[in-house]
Amino acid sequence: MAQLTRTERQIALALFVGLAVAGLLMVAGGRADPLGLHGALILGVAVFGSFGIISKYYEPLPGADRLREYYDDPSKFGVVAAMVWVAFGLFMGDWVAWLLVNPDLTFDAAWSSFGRIRPVHTTSVIFGFGGNALIATSFYVMQRTSRARLPDQLSPWFVLLGYNLFCILAVTGYMLGITQSREYAEPEWYADIWLVVVWIVYFVTYLRTLARRKEPHIYVSNWYYLAFILVVAMLHIVNNLAVPVSLGHAKSYSLFSGVQDAMTEWWYGHNAVAFFLTSGFLGMMYYFMPKRAGRPIFSYRLSIISFWGITFFYIWVGSHHLHYTALPQWVQTLGMTFSVLLLVPSWASAGNALLTLNGAWHKVRDDATLRFMMIAAVFYGLTTFEGSFMAIRPVNSLSHYTDWTIGHVHAGALGWVAMITFGSIYASVPWLWKRDAMYSARLVEVHFWLALAGTIVYVFAMWNSGIVQGLMWRTYNESGTLTYSFVDSLIAMHPYYIARAVGGLLFLIGALVGCYNMYMTIRAAPQRKRLASTSDMPAAVPAIAPAE
Amino acid sequence: MTFIAHDTLVWLSKSIGLFYLLILSAAVVVYAYWPANRKSFERAAKSIIEGEDRPWG
Amino acid sequence: MFGFHYRLERKTIPFVLAIIGAASIGGFVEIAPLFTIHQTVESAPNMRVYTPLELAGRNIYIREGCYACHSQMIRTLRDDVERYGHYSLAVESKYDHPMLWGSKRTGPDLARIGGKYSDAWHVIHLNNPRDVVPESVMPAYTWLKRTELRTADLRLHLKALREVGVPYTDDMIANAPADAYGQANPGTPLADGVIKRYGETTDVNAFDGSPGNVTEMDALVAYLQILGRLTDVASNGPAAGAAEP
Ligand code: HEC
Repeated sequence: MAQLTRTERQIALALFVGLAVAGLLMVAGGRADPLGLHGALILGVAVFGSFGIISKYYEPLPGADRLREYYDDPSKFGVVAAMVWVAFGLFMGDWVAWLLVNPDLTFDAAWSSFGRIRPVHTTSVIFGFGGNALIATSFYVMQRTSRARLPDQLSPWFVLLGYNLFCILAVTGYMLGITQSREYAEPEWYADIWLVVVWIVYFVTYLRTLARRKEPHIYVSNWYYLAFILVVAMLHIVNNLAVPVSLGHAKSYSLFSGVQDAMTEWWYGHNAVAFFLTSGFLGMMYYFMPKRAGRPIFSYRLSIISFWGITFFYIWVGSHHLHYTALPQWVQTLGMTFSVLLLVPSWASAGNALLTLNGAWHKVRDDATLRFMMIAAVFYGLTTFEGSFMAIRPVNSLSHYTDWTIGHVHAGALGWVAMITFGSIYASVPWLWKRDAMYSARLVEVHFWLALAGTIVYVFAMWNSGIVQGLMWRTYNESGTLTYSFVDSLIAMHPYYIARAVGGLLFLIGALVGCYNMYMTIRAAPQRKRLASTSDMPAAVPAIAPAE
Repeated sequence: MTFIAHDTLVWLSKSIGLFYLLILSAAVVVYAYWPANRKSFERAAKSIIEGEDRPWG
Repeated sequence: MFGFHYRLERKTIPFVLAIIGAASIGGFVEIAPLFTIHQTVESAPNMRVYTPLELAGRNIYIREGCYACHSQMIRTLRDDVERYGHYSLAVESKYDHPMLWGSKRTGPDLARIGGKYSDAWHVIHLNNPRDVVPESVMPAYTWLKRTELRTADLRLHLKALREVGVPYTDDMIANAPADAYGQANPGTPLADGVIKRYGETTDVNAFDGSPGNVTEMDALVAYLQILGRLTDVASNGPAAGAAEP
């Protein structure tokens, strides 16, 4: 706020007023529908935001010297938001896991039923945690690699706050029963339209910063972030084409149906994995890992080749989610072929990351933050191999519909995405808040081991249960009939479901330890004057110290 | 989209898709290994390690 | 200022275009041909659309996230077919906006659940699955029976579906709320309208066991009972054939 100029404060206020009007219209139009509740929520946010602006409106304006520093306040907000979302999302996830152990661990109320809170979990961790971390780090990285400050103070806030509003609409919507049922794209039409607006501002902000860059070459991390922004926009728009029942209804009907809809959804679904959960996080890795290790990336060229490889191989592979279904077989074969080819750029990236650490192994040993990143690269390699393997039709005939898929996803989500994010956050928190180091290196260490143990327990439990399940479903006895009923396979899952829930709990505790550590770093650690050194940290300039 | 027969569209997908892929792969490899680009890539790799503590005026 | 724009245009924009180009082609190649697919896929002339009650049930299925645990897509594998019935055909989900093929079988496939159990079984099972299957981990949906179904706006729902291509007639749209009531209340005059508009074989029952009202339970059970039975091409049509081993 303190860094916003007069005009920016005015625009911000106008935006909040506009948002309030939109909320009011939704309340009026959706009186008889859950849409009205969302209208009220939006209205509340807008009123709260307007008061925030008004109360600070006459605070001193920022001086021109602010332009000599990077603008990091939005990144700080994004990092904190990511940690809040991860704690919430992991908690919901573990609750869902326990529900499969004992389905009565819930309230006798619709909002808390499995089918509604499962998407709350997935959205919170993917979009809440992952998305905030991506936006926060992308602002951080693009400014530094471009040697340029963000073009203005308002648009990054618009992106972050708008994005979090989208996430809140999404998760509250599921609990109210508002969902499109499109996996990983559940929010309804109005939230989707809002996200498009936010995303356009994000993209324009990115381009404007790049246009201001003083460093002629665009560092490879930005390529990945840009691909993430662009392709996610494309996927989001096409996948969410729908006709609302009316402007006063939250519910909409998708434009496509049946087989076209299935292909569209999985074209989206798998590329959300590619461009949301891979591309963006690779961008993170290519910046924070070399930075933390103090060594340039092993092969910059390889990173370029794998960038394009990932961009144009990934986009074909969605149909491997639909093997042996009513989808035409040639599309299935295409998906399978490209999934296998995808191994090349994926392993090139993983190998590149690990080779970057070659020669810095002593640092990996001593520094849990770097170890987070190292393990992330290992899991990235493992998961992409597993993914290519599972896309092969006969393998898929066993693994599909089982917990093996869940295990695979979590090897990627916990092992790769969460680990690289925790590593990057631990690296950037002291840089952002200008502290010497995290509050406690020991606690980072504790978090690391809890996260690793949790991931391993989780993934092994799901591998076992998935394979057992898949085999039981297809076991025949001598007389040529199926040996096991579905319920037999369900009973066999019980111990694995317990193990999985315990693994998830370990991971959750680790994340909570991380939250505590960050809280203490931000709140309690003394702000020391930094020594002028080769380090990248901006020297603290008291006059423009960010308002907190 | 009924103006194109399904078979034609499938054929196009299968043929052009493949060539497009081969050409793009070749182009990327050539770009990455083009000798003149070598220096700028090496510089880029090192660029994040230092000299980025504040925006360049 | 000019310098910035110059640089932006020189590098960033082509780069952005390259990403879009690389990333869109796969989608076009895989998805575009599917829109001409009606030329090669089975046709089902006698297939009917969902009745308003079934549609409302389908929306409850979506709202409660049943798709998170149940698939509606029987693959062409032998064990799938023997366990769940004839493999699913593309045409069978052609009125499904969105499709509910699902991706996970924490519970069994439901593509052909229609007619497998009685309405009463479904009502008990949905109310508390452990009353009929003690080992079940399926959630209890106790509120369905006590929640009145919202039928007033069903016309708008049918209209929206017609906009995306489902052949609802004006007659069906105009009578949607009445048909929803009629289908759950056999013996009333409204029930005859349902038969008239949706065909002889339409189930007209007090699905939740209590006539006189329409609850969410009525709708969901009506939907479950129609699954796999909108058309009989799978059992009779030319596509009926052997599964892959
Ligand atoms: C947590 C996962 C889960 C959710 C969510 C879930 N189910 Fe189930 N469902 C199961 C399991 C497990 C079984 C097998 C045991 C049983 O019959 O209860 C099952 C069985 C069934 C069956 C019987 C299938 C057969 O062939 O015997 C029906 C019908 C059914 N579910 C309908 C639904 C509906 C409708 C919903 C949503 C309102 C739903 N389920 C939500 C897990 C789930």
